Amino acid sequence: MAASAKRRRGWRKRLGALARFTGALVIVGGLYSVFSPGLYAQESAENTIDADAVKGQELYDTSCISCHGDSGEGIEGRGPSLIGVGSASVEFQVNTGRMPLANQGAQAPETYPQFTEEEAEWLGAYIEYLGGGAAVPDDLEALVENATVSEGGDLYRVNCSSCHGFAGGGGALSSGAHAPSLSGVTDEELYQAMLTGPQNMPVFADNELTPEQKADIIAYVQYIVNDDRDPGGVFSLGRFGPSTEGLAIFLVGMTALLLTTLWIAGKS
Amino acid sequence: MKRRKGSSDSLLTKAGGELDDRFKLAGPARVLLNKVFPDHWSFLLGEIALFSFILLLLSGTFLALFFEPSMAHVTYEGAYVPLQGIEMTKAYESALDISFEVRGGLFMRQMHHWATLLFMASILVHMLRIFFTGAFRAPRETNWMIGILLFWVGFFEGFFGYSLPDDGLSGTGLRIMEGMTQSVPFIGPWASAALFGGQFPGTSVISMIYIIHVFIFPLILLALITVHVGLVFAQKHTQWPGPGRTEHNVVGFRMFPNYVMKQVGFMLFIWGVIGAMAGLFQINPIWLFGPYEVSVVSSASQPDFYVMYLDGLIRLFPAWELRIPPYFTLPAVFWPAIAGMGLSVLLPLVYPALERRFTKDRGHHNLLQRPRDTPARTSLGVMVVVFWIIGVISGGNDVFAQAFHISLNAMTWAGRIGIVVLPIIAYYVTYRICLGLQQHDREVLAHGLETGILMRDPNGRFYEVHQPLAEPDEHGHTELEYSGWVVPKKMNRVGALEPTDKGFFKSIEEPAENGGAERRDEIESGRK
Amino acid sequence: MSAHNDSAHSEPEPVDLSDPKLSRFEVYKEGLRRDDIEIIHYEPRFAKPGTKAEKRMERIVGGLFLFSGLFATLFVVAYIWWPWEYEGAATWRDPQTWYTPILGATLGLSLLLFAVGVLTWAKKLLPVEELVQDRHDGGSSQEDRRIAEATVDGLVEDMGLKRRPFLVKAALLGAAPLGLAAVAPLGALLKDPGDMLTVTGWNAEKYNDGEPVRLMMKDGALLRPDMVSVGGQLTVFPAIDHGATNEFPTAPVLLIRLRETDAEILRENLYPMYQDVDALWGNFVAYSKICTHVGCPASLYEQQTQRLLCPCHQSQFNVVDNAAPVFGPATRHLPMLPIDVDDEGYFIATSDFLVPPGPAFWNRPSLPEEDEK
Repeated sequence: MAASAKRRRGWRKRLGALARFTGALVIVGGLYSVFSPGLYAQESAENTIDADAVKGQELYDTSCISCHGDSGEGIEGRGPSLIGVGSASVEFQVNTGRMPLANQGAQAPETYPQFTEEEAEWLGAYIEYLGGGAAVPDDLEALVENATVSEGGDLYRVNCSSCHGFAGGGGALSSGAHAPSLSGVTDEELYQAMLTGPQNMPVFADNELTPEQKADIIAYVQYIVNDDRDPGGVFSLGRFGPSTEGLAIFLVGMTALLLTTLWIAGKS
Repeated sequence: MKRRKGSSDSLLTKAGGELDDRFKLAGPARVLLNKVFPDHWSFLLGEIALFSFILLLLSGTFLALFFEPSMAHVTYEGAYVPLQGIEMTKAYESALDISFEVRGGLFMRQMHHWATLLFMASILVHMLRIFFTGAFRAPRETNWMIGILLFWVGFFEGFFGYSLPDDGLSGTGLRIMEGMTQSVPFIGPWASAALFGGQFPGTSVISMIYIIHVFIFPLILLALITVHVGLVFAQKHTQWPGPGRTEHNVVGFRMFPNYVMKQVGFMLFIWGVIGAMAGLFQINPIWLFGPYEVSVVSSASQPDFYVMYLDGLIRLFPAWELRIPPYFTLPAVFWPAIAGMGLSVLLPLVYPALERRFTKDRGHHNLLQRPRDTPARTSLGVMVVVFWIIGVISGGNDVFAQAFHISLNAMTWAGRIGIVVLPIIAYYVTYRICLGLQQHDREVLAHGLETGILMRDPNGRFYEVHQPLAEPDEHGHTELEYSGWVVPKKMNRVGALEPTDKGFFKSIEEPAENGGAERRDEIESGRK
Repeated sequence: MSAHNDSAHSEPEPVDLSDPKLSRFEVYKEGLRRDDIEIIHYEPRFAKPGTKAEKRMERIVGGLFLFSGLFATLFVVAYIWWPWEYEGAATWRDPQTWYTPILGATLGLSLLLFAVGVLTWAKKLLPVEELVQDRHDGGSSQEDRRIAEATVDGLVEDMGLKRRPFLVKAALLGAAPLGLAAVAPLGALLKDPGDMLTVTGWNAEKYNDGEPVRLMMKDGALLRPDMVSVGGQLTVFPAIDHGATNEFPTAPVLLIRLRETDAEILRENLYPMYQDVDALWGNFVAYSKICTHVGCPASLYEQQTQRLLCPCHQSQFNVVDNAAPVFGPATRHLPMLPIDVDDEGYFIATSDFLVPPGPAFWNRPSLPEEDEK
């Protein structure tokens, strides 16, 4: 469900850019975008950066400046430098509610976002204006649609499962940090996270995993976490593996049978 | 007996006669049919293991029809989309085929796995019952030892079963086993090379553990279970103390029809529970784990729960490696894994002998003891249970850390401290509770039940009226001796008040024609 | 009927079974007597047979059996006709996802209902009974023991075990090697571990004709420095035949590109043995992925805290300090693979690991260099 909302957002972005062009571009560009949406979006980004960046700067100066410094250069002990992190990183952090951070801890927790998606885009534009950085390709949807699930699975197991688990349920890291669960995460967020390596996550930029490979991974994650109902049961026991299975055999199986022994041997 | 003339069952009589002519059954059959069994809910726990085992044999046979224990490489072409085109071993491929391409195969696989968990869980619970009630004492030490062996054979049987599908999780388990094997002094690397046919994971280990899993260990289990049950039969079951129950008799009901009907009913019930769990609760979704590759691992990699305490010990044990340069290393894992497992096998095995030695109790015992009456043993048992539970929790401490947002390092440290401190506290607390319960029993036997009736004497002092449990003797004393069984603690237990409501969802009123309404629970304890 | 006191027991007299006037119950009681069983309480569950209550109980039990049969039938029907084949991603609306739950529910219910039926029959319809049987505990009678002893002694005597000590010794001496011979075939399993725990796929002499082994990804792509970004990590394998398969279980390496500041710290901390071979290349460092505890892939790389975590037993290694263990049960650092870049711009391993990777083992050579901090 959430994934489709995000996809709609991608359309809105493209439509918003479209509106800024004049009639000629509407005709030519409209036709063009059908055949080559990625190229088209790149062109439009250069045109819009200033207006959005200015709005982003306003937001930045009220909400982010206390930790990340005057112009994103970071403050020692409070927040890292944001120069060069790119819009994908900002949008990921802000849209998942990880930023702005309520208080310093082992790791920024995922909460409700405090900015709208549009505002997050402005912030992203501002940070990109400060030092460039990675952005999500606009043809992500097409990439994911053409992805190969099984190759994504292979890549997932080598690169991702060690922290996020075979079933995408997440996992514990050292000293209170943790890798979050992947359920309900949108395609864009997955892509942004891989691209930018938020918090303790290593970076999987385009030279490590090509956009196609990232799309494969996204397709696989969505397949096993969100799209495919678990074969073999009504309850998946949280996909925590043998821990919850052990708990279930005692809480369900043993308990039922102990009650039965009481009934069988009880006076009648 | 069977020579009686009768019209309706003459055929049966005839058949019985024919059989007896050949096998001389009448005598032994009578002994069997009439054998008396005591009745108590706690005597049914071992049966859970027995009947799970039967189901394991049945479901395992089904799985063996489709499983191929080969580590030859194939490319998956089956139904599960996310694995199509992936290189894997034949073993993993056939395990996937059982899950996706064999009709009802997934159901059978899940049934086999749930039955395993129930088998091991019920062995543990059964073992606790035997321990806490002193049922392992002479003349039953042999059967206790057989039970311990059953647990450990089941432990490895289960672990091998977990390893067979050759998925990412089972491979990780084998890898850890490799590390543990290598740590054994002198023979480690050689033992590991023998197990894996050279370097881990090699190409032979699956077929080797397959033959152990489907043939050698089930055979050992079957033999041990037969002896175990046979000994219970031959030595006659223990019983709780109570009116008319002595060290030299068994009070209960006959094997046929009562006991056997309850057993058959219970067996079907156990199978029903496993069947329902197998259909409703997903277990071990191997398709998510992918084929085993040495560079692949998942967060929250755990063994099944019966291995988990050992894994927990390995996690908690400090990084103490003994080095004798320039050669010879005794890795840290040796202590919890090899020494720890060795002690876990050895200590329970010798416990009956140790207790005999310390208590100097050389008698034969057929009556059970209430845990409160043996505070030292009970506390020791609780100590071990607490130790075990902390081990199990530590075996899943990453899952705990993640699910409850606790620092992983804090979990490890809590486990390290807890596993040393908490068992000692548990020992002390249990000991005090046992003594307190004992004292209360003695008090009620000496002074009677609390009635809740308050009186005031002429001096203005308030006191509660106690209902003595026995008629006063010539000296006016009503004190009773403790007989090792439940002491009534409430007025309704001695019939002075209406019985407490019985029944699960609604109260059960006994039909009047049965004469049940006037019946009261008898005073079951306290003989003069 | 009931007798709760030991003293009240009177030993029942044996009856004459040839007496034709004996009732069935009397014959039956004689059987009990022979098995040392005495009835202390026995009454039918329903004092008058055929009452309403009894009929009701019969109906309940019968109903349970019939319903059990119904669910068993449903199980068979579902097993045969319910769609079950996996057809790609499916939601709960697709019937095949319900196949296993339906099998479980129908079979489970069928078994449970039958079980409750049998148990109710036993609890509510069988007579109420309490019997007491004597145990004959504590070994055989003195007579039996004497007879057994005499028999065994006779046996020993017949064989002359005491008179022919030479034979006994010869038999033992002969049997011992025979026992050994029975076990010896197990020796077929033995294999010399050789260098399997110390030499990995990075060994140029053994696996690459002396040419330094290049680094590759799982799909075979050779690795160049520009393929890893700052703060990124990749799992890499020796670029030899089957280098990325389980044939080289100690070879997988985690190639990390550190930030400049982190790389500085690492260079300061570098063990002398790694300084000597110039193990780093730029800000790139390659650590064995196989945990030195028991061999799981220690691959949870935290790029901010610079820790590597092993998910099996939570050993943690400090990436900017030679991957030395900082927490958990691991005792040794993850061996570093000395790397360089060759003329064509590809990463190569300049040698095999300097210390054996993976879990420790009994005869693992512990080099003095590795203890240096």
